[in-house]
Amino acid sequence: MQFKFTKFATALIVSGIVSLPLIAHANDSSELEELRALVQQLDQKIKVLDRKNELAEEAAAIRKQETPVITSNQDKYNSGFGIQSADGQNKIQFGGLVQLDNRQYPSANEGNTSGFDVRRIRPIVQGTLDGIYDFKFAPEYGDNKVASSSTNGGIADAFVNARFKPWLQVQAGKFAPDVGLERLESSNFNKFIELSTISNNFVPNRDIGVSLHGDIINNKLYYAVGLYQGVVDGGDSITSQSYNGNNEYSARVFATPFKGDDSVLAGLGFGIAATHDNGTGSDIASTSYASTGFVANSGLPGYKTPGQESTFFAYNATTSASGNRNRVTPQAYFYYGPFGVIAEYARVSQNVSGVLDGGSLTGARSSADLHNNAWEITGSWLLTGENATHNKPVSPNSPFSTNGGGWGAWELVARFQETNIDQNAYAYAAKGTSLTTSSVNTTTLANSSTAGIEAQSAKTWGLGVNWYLSKNLKLATNYEVTSFNSFAGQTGTTRPDEKFIDSRLQLAF
Amino acid sequence: MKKSLLAIALLTAAFGTSAPLTASAKDISLLNVSYDPTRELYQDFNAAFSKFWLSKTGDKVTIKASHGGSGKQARAIIDGLDADVATLALAYDVDQLQEKGKLIPKDWQTRLPHNSSPYTSTIVLLVRKGNPKNIKDWDDLIKPGVSVITPNPKTSGGARWNYLAAWAYAQKHDGNDEAKTKEFIGKLFKNVPVLDTGARGSTTTFVERGIGDVLLAWENEAFLAQKELGVGKFEIVVPSLSILAEPPVTVVDKFAKKHGTEVVAKAYLDYLYTEEGQEIAAKNYYRPTLASVAKKYESQFPKVNLVKIDEDFGGWQTAQKKHFADGGTFDQIYQK
Repeated sequence: MQFKFTKFATALIVSGIVSLPLIAHANDSSELEELRALVQQLDQKIKVLDRKNELAEEAAAIRKQETPVITSNQDKYNSGFGIQSADGQNKIQFGGLVQLDNRQYPSANEGNTSGFDVRRIRPIVQGTLDGIYDFKFAPEYGDNKVASSSTNGGIADAFVNARFKPWLQVQAGKFAPDVGLERLESSNFNKFIELSTISNNFVPNRDIGVSLHGDIINNKLYYAVGLYQGVVDGGDSITSQSYNGNNEYSARVFATPFKGDDSVLAGLGFGIAATHDNGTGSDIASTSYASTGFVANSGLPGYKTPGQESTFFAYNATTSASGNRNRVTPQAYFYYGPFGVIAEYARVSQNVSGVLDGGSLTGARSSADLHNNAWEITGSWLLTGENATHNKPVSPNSPFSTNGGGWGAWELVARFQETNIDQNAYAYAAKGTSLTTSSVNTTTLANSSTAGIEAQSAKTWGLGVNWYLSKNLKLATNYEVTSFNSFAGQTGTTRPDEKFIDSRLQLAF
Repeated sequence: MKKSLLAIALLTAAFGTSAPLTASAKDISLLNVSYDPTRELYQDFNAAFSKFWLSKTGDKVTIKASHGGSGKQARAIIDGLDADVATLALAYDVDQLQEKGKLIPKDWQTRLPHNSSPYTSTIVLLVRKGNPKNIKDWDDLIKPGVSVITPNPKTSGGARWNYLAAWAYAQKHDGNDEAKTKEFIGKLFKNVPVLDTGARGSTTTFVERGIGDVLLAWENEAFLAQKELGVGKFEIVVPSLSILAEPPVTVVDKFAKKHGTEVVAKAYLDYLYTEEGQEIAAKNYYRPTLASVAKKYESQFPKVNLVKIDEDFGGWQTAQKKHFADGGTFDQIYQK
């Protein structure tokens, strides 16, 4: 029994000893399997999370490419704030131009009044659709002396430009026709506060029409041909149909042969523009003579003094356009480092008709060609070293700041300009059955009724300083002196010199 | 003297304007917008076609390719990606170019042989070496613990072929009981941890990121993964039933006309049907349609019982509307 018990106990003990590791091994193996499976599951979960994160990042990157971008201070539009599609194909910019002037006339001048003047307020909306169609809409408020807002609709620009190719672009609407070099600059980039006599008195300001234009020969030659409603010299088109139904044709070429080259001539540009119209003005018997020189529907301009408040030459109220009007204007600029020069010449040949001596306004008339011309040259020097360029904003190297910043950019400007009216405007009078040189002044083509106001020529020199506090804010002061010459044979006093101090606060964004 | 000057001016104007046009005619650029897994195919094919076109015409043609989920690519073309040719995963996506973009004519599919599908493919199962989850057919994919990788049918043409192949299998096994078929597909998609937007993305998920037990893949993509992306790491399982995938091609007429590339774009697609084009397709694991080439590569492709989109699903328009349109069976299943 003892033996049996001992054997049994021994067997139990041995089996226990033997089986313990086996049980332990079995347990370890099972746990290891479970652990391995768990690790694999966790590994998969981590990998899935990583992959989802990766895909989310890829999706975010794609969304970013498709998300519209808010923009500000875009060079193309000289700032403004806007929004554009991620691919840049569609964009809209909101900008503005505010010009607050103070005009002072130190000496007595005909028709000039000193004081503050809100010269321009232009809200500007512009942009691009489908990467091709640029548009601009800029209503204008303020003291626009070129034409009354009741006739131009208070609109400076309203056009669409389709950029099919760099060399094939079509612009239609109301805009500055491709004629005058300075006139084609945005108002906020002009070196002098007021434009030269070329821009103010000879080339179209704004007109309604269509222009085919583009850059050719590696963007070194610009061309434009246009068809417009037609405006008087320096005129702004009305927004309705032309009173006489005629059209004006224009053409311009402008070369920048060294653009982009590493050459001192890289900033050289020159060209020529011309217009042709064959319009007639209507009789203007019932129209009173306007202070700006415009006589409604006469088809003829009045030529303003640099002071902008009055004219030094206008046609007689009985004179109207009666045929061809041809303008030609060679033009050039040169920019090198901080220096810039812009020069233009313009000649306009205008066929006008006057009432025959002693006749009625609706009676017999006779016509003659008159040739008026002008030229101007403007120089600029950025004292603070910024580069001068055409039709682009000056970005100060150190914008003005009261918190330890810079003083902005400072620029000196100088200009000389001259305007000459055809002597025959005064000399011709309708006498008998044709226009002839007459000693009688009462029916001359020119408005000669007021001695001391009308002048045959005007010469102006001017100096100025521009302070660009930032790319968007500018203060400017100009001083210009204009001397006048009477027509040969004109009786009475000569128009006195005009001394004009003009100051401007300009905000452009 | 005046005449000479005039002649010089006219010649200058003529050469000045015509020279760039002449230069561009000799240097042609084509854009092929394709679906995800065709990168390797068109890389080889484009090189061959450029060589062919240069020898035939003397013109240099450069082909750019864009790849992505087929549905996404179709939308991109409609939204303005100006493709000269589109080589997409399924006819419905090409139909969209006509219906929504008016970029191609209605009869686009009849303009080239085999319904404008120069090559075909099918859907197979790619598993890891040794097939650790013992996956043999579609019904193994709905088992708990099996992780299935497939892209999103909303964006990927391949995913729609995957979906329909699984649907056809389930329908057959469930005796056309649609409720049971939907339940089957629902279970399958519950086992999908990640939905990529395209087939190549899913291949990346499975092959490179090591996620999942089985990849539902284009046959060509499965071959590529097995033989080139991860040699010795994967096995192809051919299911008992799959679907005949017919990826179509078309000239995108509106854009080709705009670019002046209509002739070369058509020649590009015609070349896909030539012996050389078919050889390139076969070498990239697409099933050729040209009998002689198909016979030559017969042993490369396993025999599979294939359903067809037109016969078994009423065509792509019907299938798309029922399964993949907003509120379709996929939305019903995937939202549950």
